[in-house]
Amino acid sequence: MAQFRLQDGKVLAVDLTGDAVRAKNGSMIAYEGDMTFKKLTGGGDGLRGMVTRRLTGEQLEVMEVKGHGTCYFADAAGDVSLVTLQQDTLHVEASNLLCTAGGLRTGTTFTGLRGASQGNGLFTTTVEGTGQAALTSQGPAIVLRVTPQTPLRVDPGAYLAHSGRLRQEFQSGVTFRTLLGDGSGEAFQIRFEGEGLVYVQPSERETLGGQV
Amino acid sequence: MGFTRISGKMIEAQVVPGQPLYSQRGAMLAYRGEVSFTPNLTGGQGGVMSALGRRARGEAAPLMTVEGRGSVYFGHGGHHVHVVDLAGSLLHVEADRLLAFEGSLRQGTVFLGSQGGVMGMVRGQATGQGLFTTTLEGHGSVAVLAHGGVLELPVTPRRAVHVDPQAYVAHRGDLRNRLSTALGWRDMVGRGSGEAFQLELSGQGTVYVQASEEKL
Repeated sequence: MAQFRLQDGKVLAVDLTGDAVRAKNGSMIAYEGDMTFKKLTGGGDGLRGMVTRRLTGEQLEVMEVKGHGTCYFADAAGDVSLVTLQQDTLHVEASNLLCTAGGLRTGTTFTGLRGASQGNGLFTTTVEGTGQAALTSQGPAIVLRVTPQTPLRVDPGAYLAHSGRLRQEFQSGVTFRTLLGDGSGEAFQIRFEGEGLVYVQPSERETLGGQV
Repeated sequence: MGFTRISGKMIEAQVVPGQPLYSQRGAMLAYRGEVSFTPNLTGGQGGVMSALGRRARGEAAPLMTVEGRGSVYFGHGGHHVHVVDLAGSLLHVEADRLLAFEGSLRQGTVFLGSQGGVMGMVRGQATGQGLFTTTLEGHGSVAVLAHGGVLELPVTPRRAVHVDPQAYVAHRGDLRNRLSTALGWRDMVGRGSGEAFQLELSGQGTVYVQASEEKL
């Protein structure tokens, strides 16, 4: 089994004993031991995945890293968060996914209006199964728990990923003032309801909602 | 003496008379005491000849001499600063990654072709290091800039380390580096994994790697 470790926040170390992990293309910064790097076309989801990803624009440039030793990954000095999945599904933007253990499956799902408001397109990547995955974010990410009693609203630009049984709803706070150009910059939010975890980064991507 | 870490991106250096410091020009953030900053036209130590040599080799980073008595704070561009204490060993680093170093260190320039001939020169080009690199030797501290945190990886004769050329920052000790290529047919058709070139470091020492693939 591949062991994922964090090395001072921005570097992910993965110990490999002959098994394989999938990582973002070009994200290896150093390794010890013997490693091979192979690009997986279409996000490693086979021919169907390749076509889907091409059509949805959720391009996932991944490589398969295989070997014995320790491999270090990092992406543009972004902060790394580790996620452990137990027969669970993680929804994440392809650009924020750094590395997934070999046993996890990846795919694409439709997100609707939320995706469009984030400036990330209408589709997102899903990671499912049991194993570890690593995400990158601008600034250290925080994890917020959502329970049926405590729904959560997140700025689309700061949303990173979510897991668990969550329903998401896009909500807008567009008022008369927003139309006059006097908005607070918080015109759109994503509302999460149900039971699960939401990962939020302390930074906001450029989004349509952030402009008004 | 030496450098004190204030935060991940700022260091404090003590200056006493007779022990000057060299720093990247414009990297001073604040200072206390009576300290003077003199632009160093020769780009470091040595006389006019070594300055001409550096200029010709493109390793002439604009440096300044810091003298006097007091404490000086250094930082640059919001980049992470990593302090390396040299105890008689040799550090190889790119001139534009040098933030500050103590005057007790000997500065030099090496030709990459001297290690591995033509392959050394190819290596310098592939890694964006150029044909020359700066060396510092002796006893003292060096502050090196990196994008993202710095990871120190020990290298032993039995354990070689491979590094992505873009993430390479510096190396210390008696290390041999070699450019290893893993070019396959996939790279030729534009389907490479982005890891076609790697620096292989072997010997005894430490290699410093940054958490980003962005050159400074």
